[in-house]
Amino acid sequence: MSVTDINTSDGLSLQTELRRKKQMKQLLIWGLFLLFAGWCVHGTIIADTDWSRIGGRNGVLASVGRYITIDWGLLPELIIPTIETFMMASVGTVLGCFFSLPVAWLGAANVTPSKAILYPLGRFLMVLSRSVHEIVWALIFVSAVGLGALPGILAIAMRSVGFISKITAEAIENIDAKPVEAIRATGGNEFQVMYYGILPQIYPVVLATVIFEWDINIRRSAVMGLVGAGGLGLLFFRQMNSFNYGGVTMVILAILLLIVLGEVISHYLRKAVI
Amino acid sequence: MTEQTAAPSKQKQTWSRYSFPESLWSFGTLLAVIVFLGYSLHFLNIDVLMMLGALGKLGGVVADRFYPPDLAYVTDPGYLASILDTLQMSFLGGILGVFLAIPLAWFSAWNVSPHRKIFFPIGRLGVISCRAIHETIWTILFVSVLGFGMLAGVSALTMFCIGFAGKLFADEIEAVDMGPVEAMRAAGANSFQVFIFAVVPQVRVAFTGIAIYTWDVAFRAATVVGFFGGGGMGWYLKRNVQQLENLRVGAIILSIIAMVLIAEFISGWLRSAVNKAK
Repeated sequence: MSVTDINTSDGLSLQTELRRKKQMKQLLIWGLFLLFAGWCVHGTIIADTDWSRIGGRNGVLASVGRYITIDWGLLPELIIPTIETFMMASVGTVLGCFFSLPVAWLGAANVTPSKAILYPLGRFLMVLSRSVHEIVWALIFVSAVGLGALPGILAIAMRSVGFISKITAEAIENIDAKPVEAIRATGGNEFQVMYYGILPQIYPVVLATVIFEWDINIRRSAVMGLVGAGGLGLLFFRQMNSFNYGGVTMVILAILLLIVLGEVISHYLRKAVI
Repeated sequence: MTEQTAAPSKQKQTWSRYSFPESLWSFGTLLAVIVFLGYSLHFLNIDVLMMLGALGKLGGVVADRFYPPDLAYVTDPGYLASILDTLQMSFLGGILGVFLAIPLAWFSAWNVSPHRKIFFPIGRLGVISCRAIHETIWTILFVSVLGFGMLAGVSALTMFCIGFAGKLFADEIEAVDMGPVEAMRAAGANSFQVFIFAVVPQVRVAFTGIAIYTWDVAFRAATVVGFFGGGGMGWYLKRNVQQLENLRVGAIILSIIAMVLIAEFISGWLRSAVNKAK
């Protein structure tokens, strides 16, 4: 603070007053925060929970204990859904990239074909994609194209569009404008400008983003089965519904393994790209 | 995508982005990815034309089944109360998650971890397993242990927030200036004192920003935990999806989008206020 070097008595009182004001403000913020938290605790944990149904500590421990056994017999059934989950995530990510290209083109302020209409549309599509949860996207696509891996892939693709196109649009806005102008000056059309002027400049950023998104998409594709798309989620759902808790643990172990694998691959790929 | 510049015959220039061994590598990677994707489409038994035509179909389905949304349904007091429930769950899950994530992030930050052989793996494993398991799976697990209701939702969101905030916190801690840390260590401070007096003052503002962002993301996740029994808006979504009340589903999805946008706006405003106040 700039007042600390003032040594006169006036300065000191000013300093203490400022400090007191700051403390009051912090106290007020913390007070409101705690009040809000108390309201939330009351609403969720006290008013809405039926503690007698949970059955005390022993009841909870007994319910948790059911999961500790591992059903190794499920192992042969796990292999194909695991591969499916991995493939759904990969195809979904690539499809998401294709969907994000036009969105990023519309939503980047310096290359958008129309700043008044198409730029807000591009921005809106980015927000829309991110604000709808992947489960909701999957529900919509299951009702549009039926059960199977396809709605899962489409849901993952739609959910990825927001993040990929936002980063891509930001990368496009930060490019060096000279190559773009040069290509325009020699008579290149919009597509040629994009292909030869913009893409070579942004692809390291975009590729790193896509790899990051692919990593996230693996964990998303592991739950697509819960609402009717295939993969490990379907197996998880079946084990849960048949009360085979050891099987549930086994499926979770498979998910963990797949995700750690994805994280390792994406770590090395991103290192190679950047 | 990487290869356009490596095809000198098309562009009349002698310079090329990749020289021989590198170009082979990038061509090989691209080829492998394409082969893998093609095989995946075959393995998953996917009709490519149907996949590419799905967006048009989506438009048709939305216009047919979800339009016009039943807006009277989402202004019903019961539904509005469920929005408040969702807000409460996300807030509480966010607070608990952030407070539990701080020690885990401290353990899992390589530079200031209290013990690199014991606490570092514990912290990393804790954060990774919270992150790796999707919030919906956490919800299902907690519902099976704690029963239906908001307690299960709050617990699931807590796990989700530990994973989300823990990783960002750890990255932030690993980027601190090591000068104060070295000074504290040289003066004989233990690792807890180092964390409190050398690390926390450096990362306080960044942590506040991350905590607000975590709440924002938790709210997005909280809109669907109800779908699997966690309480809040998702429960209405599930009921209407199962009853095939598509117009109501349309209205609920619209209300979710609206609430998420409001949450995003609030979080952006708060984060900029925090950054200004530092």
